[in-house]
Amino acid sequence: MQSCFSVVLLALIAWALWSTGFWLVQRADWSVVSGNLPLFAIGSYPEASRWRPILWLGSLLLLTLFTLAQPLLLRRGIGLNSTILSWSWLLMMPLGLWLLAGGGVLDPVPSRLWGGLVLTLLLTVFSGVIALPLGVLLALGRCSELTTARQLSKIYIDGMRAVPLIAVLFFGQLLLPLFLPVQIEINRLLRAVVAFGLFAAAYVAEDVRGGLQAVPPTQSEAAAALGLGPWQIQRLVILPQALRIAVPALTNQAVGLLQNTSLMAILGLVELLGISQSLLANPAYIGRHLEVYVWLAALYWLLCTAMALMARQFERQDPSNLIATRRS
Amino acid sequence: MTVAVRAESVTKSFAAGTRALDDVSLSVRHGEVLVVMGPSGSGKSTLIRTFNGLESIDSGSLDVVGIPLDCDHDERQIRRIRRRVGMVFQQFNLFPHLTILQNITLAPIQVKSVPKPMAERRAHALLDQMGIADQALKYPAQLSGGQQQRVAIARALALDPELMLFDEPTSALDPERVKEVLDAMRQLADDGMTMVVVTHELGFAREVADRVLFMDGGRVVELTDAETFFTHAKEERSQRFLNQMAH
Ligand SMILES: Nc1ncnc2c1ncn2[C@@H]1O[C@H](COP(=O)(O)OP(=O)(O)O)[C@@H](O)[C@H]1O
Ligand SMILES: [Mg+2]
Repeated sequence: MQSCFSVVLLALIAWALWSTGFWLVQRADWSVVSGNLPLFAIGSYPEASRWRPILWLGSLLLLTLFTLAQPLLLRRGIGLNSTILSWSWLLMMPLGLWLLAGGGVLDPVPSRLWGGLVLTLLLTVFSGVIALPLGVLLALGRCSELTTARQLSKIYIDGMRAVPLIAVLFFGQLLLPLFLPVQIEINRLLRAVVAFGLFAAAYVAEDVRGGLQAVPPTQSEAAAALGLGPWQIQRLVILPQALRIAVPALTNQAVGLLQNTSLMAILGLVELLGISQSLLANPAYIGRHLEVYVWLAALYWLLCTAMALMARQFERQDPSNLIATRRS
Repeated sequence: MTVAVRAESVTKSFAAGTRALDDVSLSVRHGEVLVVMGPSGSGKSTLIRTFNGLESIDSGSLDVVGIPLDCDHDERQIRRIRRRVGMVFQQFNLFPHLTILQNITLAPIQVKSVPKPMAERRAHALLDQMGIADQALKYPAQLSGGQQQRVAIARALALDPELMLFDEPTSALDPERVKEVLDAMRQLADDGMTMVVVTHELGFAREVADRVLFMDGGRVVELTDAETFFTHAKEERSQRFLNQMAH
């Protein structure tokens, strides 16, 4: 009976694999993807300045490969110093913004022309840049001895977590302008990034709080006995440990952040999903949904895997063993 | 000459209602080694933790390295004391995210604004003194318990304290690691450091202590010179404790 069942199951799997493979190679028409690769990569960025987003993507790709190959390279004695590597990653943020937006010697390009993979990455990185420090502050507030700080952080965190992201994004589009003087007109992209960052901060705060609570109280006692003040203790002893402990959870958040940027297509931003939808609206590509979405899935999978691998590597290299010991 | 610690009628209860210190009076002279003994839960840890403000007191008065420390628990006074009083814990409590060198230089750089190269030179000298000069760039998790505790001593010494507090510094160690830590402490005592040491190591106490404080139930049972305590303790409770420890 059982072996009969196994045979049927195996046959089903084989059939599914074969028909998927057949579809991928024979039936699918990949011209919608191969003919539009630049569009997927950088959207409809002005022709003359295309080298700018492409340069950024190229440097990111190189840096990712370098980071992933770091252990191998180090073994041969040709690896980059990890401090240089971290600084290069940090440098990528202002560099990307400058290359895309222009300024100085570069012609300005308005943000409504940004799109594709470049926009997805930009959204992820800059929402993260808002979410991480704000999340840390909220976590500190949540664990603080001051009742007001604790209550306010709790209200913010619980409130944000009770609202779906899409609602926060819509509210961001409608409400943010109301809080600002009329003269300051902030664009759609910025509103989306701020709303997204504010939302993600609540989740980051919970992860960091987990880290804070995992640091034994004897640590602040030892630091206090050395004469350090309350802020020094948090900044130099507790937070660095809490953040290391939270790295696996924060990695999940970062991956989630990347995937959730696709929701911004609903707001009319042409990031990866938005650009795909606009492609599919083109009569030339009628009925090519499956190809486009399979391609999108593969792209997201690749991006998320790269992120997870780099985080794993960072965890493994941590000489203090803080990350590794708490994980198991 | 002033004393390093003077406690007068110090009492302390915890919220749960346990009276951890009950009318404790004592003084520790400069250059003296006071060993504190007593059964578990007798208030030894609580006592030495009041000396650097890790525990507040309910009544009585304290004076540590010339700075008064009353029941109002004044943060500024406490931090002044902590810069001049080192403490070593049972569980080492090193900072796991910092290298050994960074563990030792953290407080001098942050609290006393010592320039980094100077703090590091001093740290290397202290590690040398503790016999672990080659461990400077490792992380605490890579060291044995005995080595970690010697780093903890070096970390406390880095602020050039006038008084060192030890709370059962060898109780968490493997038996074969106890000696290396006691040797370091003995060296410190020989160099004239004022020390208050909570320990169950009778050999160390007999050899290094100038006086012994025996506590039970939060009270001072006996406070005499070490010679007298180990040869003919006055109190019956001390004798019983010594007998138990010897077996
Ligand atoms: N943080 C605390 N909260 C409540 N009770 C405590 C606390 N710390 C110590 N105690 C109690 O105070 C008494 C003295 O404890 P302690 O000073 O740690 O004793 P010892 O170090 O001699 O073993 C014990 O009864 C203990 O249970
Ligand atoms: Mg104790």
